[in-house]
Amino acid sequence: MNIIEEVLKRKRRFAIFPIICADHCAHILHKNFKDVATNGEILAEVLEYGYNLYRYDMTLIFSDPYVEAEAMGCSLEYSPYPKLISNSELIRKKEIKALRLKSEIKGLRLKFKDRTDEIIKSAQILREKVDVPVFVSIKGPFTLACFLYDTEDLLKLLLNNETTARSIIRMALDFQVEYLDRLLKIPVNIFIGDPLASASVISPNLFKKFAYEPLRILINKIKSAGMIAGVHICGDTRPIIEFLDNSGTDILSIEDISHKTKTLKMGGVSTITLLNSDKKKIQKEIELALKQDFLILSTSCDVPVNTPAENIETMLDIARQYEN
Amino acid sequence: MKGMAEILPSLFYPSIANDKFLNKITLKGGRLDFSLIKKAIVSFEEDKVKKLVKEFLENGIVAKDILEQGLIPGMKEVGRLFEIKEYYVPEVLLASEAFYAGFEIIKPPLIEQKIEKKAKIVIGVVQGDIHDIGKNIVKVMLEASGYEIIDLGKDVPNEKFVETVVQENPQILALSSLMTTTMIQMETIIKLLNKKKLRKNVKVIVGGAPINQEYADKIGADGCAEDAARAVKLVDKIIGVNP
Repeated sequence: MNIIEEVLKRKRRFAIFPIICADHCAHILHKNFKDVATNGEILAEVLEYGYNLYRYDMTLIFSDPYVEAEAMGCSLEYSPYPKLISNSELIRKKEIKALRLKSEIKGLRLKFKDRTDEIIKSAQILREKVDVPVFVSIKGPFTLACFLYDTEDLLKLLLNNETTARSIIRMALDFQVEYLDRLLKIPVNIFIGDPLASASVISPNLFKKFAYEPLRILINKIKSAGMIAGVHICGDTRPIIEFLDNSGTDILSIEDISHKTKTLKMGGVSTITLLNSDKKKIQKEIELALKQDFLILSTSCDVPVNTPAENIETMLDIARQYEN
Repeated sequence: MKGMAEILPSLFYPSIANDKFLNKITLKGGRLDFSLIKKAIVSFEEDKVKKLVKEFLENGIVAKDILEQGLIPGMKEVGRLFEIKEYYVPEVLLASEAFYAGFEIIKPPLIEQKIEKKAKIVIGVVQGDIHDIGKNIVKVMLEASGYEIIDLGKDVPNEKFVETVVQENPQILALSSLMTTTMIQMETIIKLLNKKKLRKNVKVIVGGAPINQEYADKIGADGCAEDAARAVKLVDKIIGVNP
């Protein structure tokens, strides 16, 4: 049983994983980020480097938030990190009313620049290279739908054209179900990132109406395959915490871990604290976080790319002192 | 505080000849009722806002009063509802559209009337970041609070912020970032302003999902706001005006 499983089964108090993504690892290795984001082998190489450097208790394959959006027709530009420069014309024109058939989704992936196979390749490699659980980050259907259609426009549709909003979210969900099928064959654990579904953006009512069910469908699928499911939503989660807690996810990665939940939480250290290298503050936040009965001690969001490696080492060193 | 036109409509608007309109917008005591515009903004009725603003203008109500008594109170109420978490981003976006629908109609007469603004603010999303919803909401709230806004948009090169500060001489520079990969640009912009000896002339405020006061202090910004409503309060405080 690995450390994450031990904590999930409440046989160990905590595990440690600051949310280190490929951008930070590429930065410390001086790798061109476009090469990292577009090549599964290089992606695995930088993440393996990060793991060997810090020796945390799990790894997360996350290059950037736009992998699936790009495969569905969005355009990206690297400068040096990817940014979305256009939404999916296909989705905006709604040429495909609903992507229900796997063949349609496969056709879509062939039509556009698809990096999902590179992510799968990196997961296959990393599983062989590291001795901790490997997670792949995928986007929640609601957040993916925002990227595909344009966030502002989709948010407005939630209130003035529910049917169209639902059909776009459905397309995002269908794509993710097919992507999950391929990921779970590896097999690999999954983290679903759905930050645009937070209560910093939409009301609990809209969350329940549009974001919750697609999230649950993905969680159920991961759990049915016997893998660990995590959900990451940064921003305000207090108004939706009960939904998240009852979603069936194994891990909840949230900014404010003071919420009472039956689900194992992940978080505790502010990314800004880590960036600012204030040792005392890091210690204080860790001490407070470890008052939780069980926890994956982590950062509130992904570690900023330029966070000094020594700050991350400080966090891990302090946390290790509380083991046993 | 009530505008004079609202208190004494007959004195300020002796030319309103349309009885039907006058009856519709006159409250007990003779005050003009601008709340129809306010309510239409709060309930995101863009077409209704347009219709009402046109009707008010056609009947001789000056643009300044439509703005100050109708449109601005509408957005202020939206800001209040956002602050108490009754409204979220989608609601604010639709209300903003309704506000701008009315604002565009009164813009030409407003320019003619040369309305004095509280201060000039340059706003934009930093280089590499294309997430501009937060910035857009802050912009509309500030605009509705009487500030002149120069919106540089999203993914703005650092040098562009500095050039605009030189050209426009704003009192405030507002920087937004939603990503941990792009927030670092804020510090670079402040360093550039320091290097060009411009920092004394402009206050820099920052905001966005990963930003907090601690980060603002670290990079030498003058303030940080968690959301649009707080951004207006912060700017009011920096400028030294009463809301």
